[in-house]
Amino acid sequence: MNFPKPAVGMLPNDRLDYSAITKRKRLKLPKGARMVVWTITNVEEWDPTQTMPRAVLTPPAGGSPMPDIPNWCWHEYGNRVGFWRLLQVYDDFKIPGVMNINGVAVKAYPDIVKACVDRKWEFIGHGYTQRNMQKVENERADIRKSAEVLEEATGKRPRGWLGPGLTETWETPDILAEEGYDYVADWVLDDQPVWMKTRGKPILNIPYTQECNDVAMMLIQHHKASEFYERAMDQFEQIHKDAKHSARVMAISVHPYIMGAPHRAKYFRKIYEKIRKKRDVLFWTGSQIAD
Amino acid sequence: MPMHPRERLAYSPIEGRPLLKFPKGVRLVIWPVLALEEWDMARPMARMVISPPQGQPMLPDHPNWTWHEYGMRVGFWRMKRMLHDLKINPTVTLNARVCETYPQVAQACADAGWELNAHGYDQVPMHKLDDQKAVIDKSVEVITKFWGRAPRGWFGPGLTQTFDTLDHLSAAGIEYIGDWVLDDEPVTLKTTHKPVVALPYNFELHDIVLMALGHHPSDQMYARVMDHFECLYAESGERPKIMAIAMHPYLSGVPHRINHVHRAFEAVLSRPGVAAWDGAKILDWYKAQA
Repeated sequence: MNFPKPAVGMLPNDRLDYSAITKRKRLKLPKGARMVVWTITNVEEWDPTQTMPRAVLTPPAGGSPMPDIPNWCWHEYGNRVGFWRLLQVYDDFKIPGVMNINGVAVKAYPDIVKACVDRKWEFIGHGYTQRNMQKVENERADIRKSAEVLEEATGKRPRGWLGPGLTETWETPDILAEEGYDYVADWVLDDQPVWMKTRGKPILNIPYTQECNDVAMMLIQHHKASEFYERAMDQFEQIHKDAKHSARVMAISVHPYIMGAPHRAKYFRKIYEKIRKKRDVLFWTGSQIAD
Repeated sequence: MPMHPRERLAYSPIEGRPLLKFPKGVRLVIWPVLALEEWDMARPMARMVISPPQGQPMLPDHPNWTWHEYGMRVGFWRMKRMLHDLKINPTVTLNARVCETYPQVAQACADAGWELNAHGYDQVPMHKLDDQKAVIDKSVEVITKFWGRAPRGWFGPGLTQTFDTLDHLSAAGIEYIGDWVLDDEPVTLKTTHKPVVALPYNFELHDIVLMALGHHPSDQMYARVMDHFECLYAESGERPKIMAIAMHPYLSGVPHRINHVHRAFEAVLSRPGVAAWDGAKILDWYKAQA
């Protein structure tokens, strides 16, 4: 790659060499399991004085209105109503939850934080606000503040990080490692965890997904609700098959304002109805995968 | 000083709130909303079904104007028959100018005994108005004069608001809005005048979002309503639920979609404990709860 090297940080290939998944050392899971499924719930607080991160409804004749109250409300529904619908699925199927939450959302939605702390969910950093990391004024301060807010609310410093919209600068993995994060999930380039170099100690990248992700599927690609289930099952069956000789990881990522809507929640539930009882599949948090 | 949305309404999770109670025999209320609009040809069209060659915006935009106009000439009457057959009275949210430009349509709604709800003067977002208060007052006035009664409810064009819209609405006598889609239950919003109730509306069972923006096949009008309904119906065993369905004549009233809309209404209304109410009735019920 002849891309000029950034002044700060690294190009992706300098962090991680290309490697074919079939030519690696075998990865083994306990109890003969073939694969791990981890489920990430993303809770965000959208600032109504800023442009909304996503919109389901555009104004007449288009444009980006300011303020955008309709889409702010649409998102807020997820935290008032939708989250509690999804939580029931986690409870019913005993899925260990991973709460990927904006720093500001911790203060805005204390009931959600409490429900997850009570259930011993893992909290991971998702930016202090729902803003592109390239637009955040001071990236390190944002990453540090996210950890501090989570530590204060949950009693534990977060070990994992998923950037808002998976955005990174050339330097993000370096800062994350320096700030004490053990793993990141922004790089959707593999079915297995991979080590990434940083200027300090390496950081682990855990397989995440833009494919079994409700923002991409429902909001951007406009699939019907049942497609979330269909795609998750297709993804699951293939990864299960692929994991015959070496373990693989599958991620499922949801947002309460999307999969928590009444017509979609049942398809999220249906996935676990189908796969939760499989003996050779583990349901873990990010930290369990990292360890 | 305009209020932040959270100053109007604090965050509250739906679980653990005091229970609202529907009258005996009702567990879920369907709120049918029929939106009637005026698309001014001098402006860019509110929505487009076909973009111009090379994507260059054009003014006037005949193809999309006529697409909408079909709804008022043909689609509306098809929908009126459907609603009559289903024996349901929708809330009709209309740009006040519809009373002037399509009096036959507005009159048919009034004659049918349907609730009229103000939807701005024409289909222009609230942000683009020079004098929002004047337009709100005019909208209420025009509908009041036509109908003989003042509209109690409001939907902003495209559900748009600025931070002070609610204060102007309250001052104009508006009692409820449908613009805030943040809950399954009605909520009371603070304003600088009287409080305004936000009834549970949604952008999901909404033909613009589903069809014009989401490009779903026509039968999703049925499939999504049913998925949505089954979830709320199950939950309505614990808490009363309200489910809005939003329709526009140029989308829901076209030949290939109306049957899917019709059978969705038929299916949900055939279930025990399901009633169709208009916005005013939902508002009166909610106000009597406190």
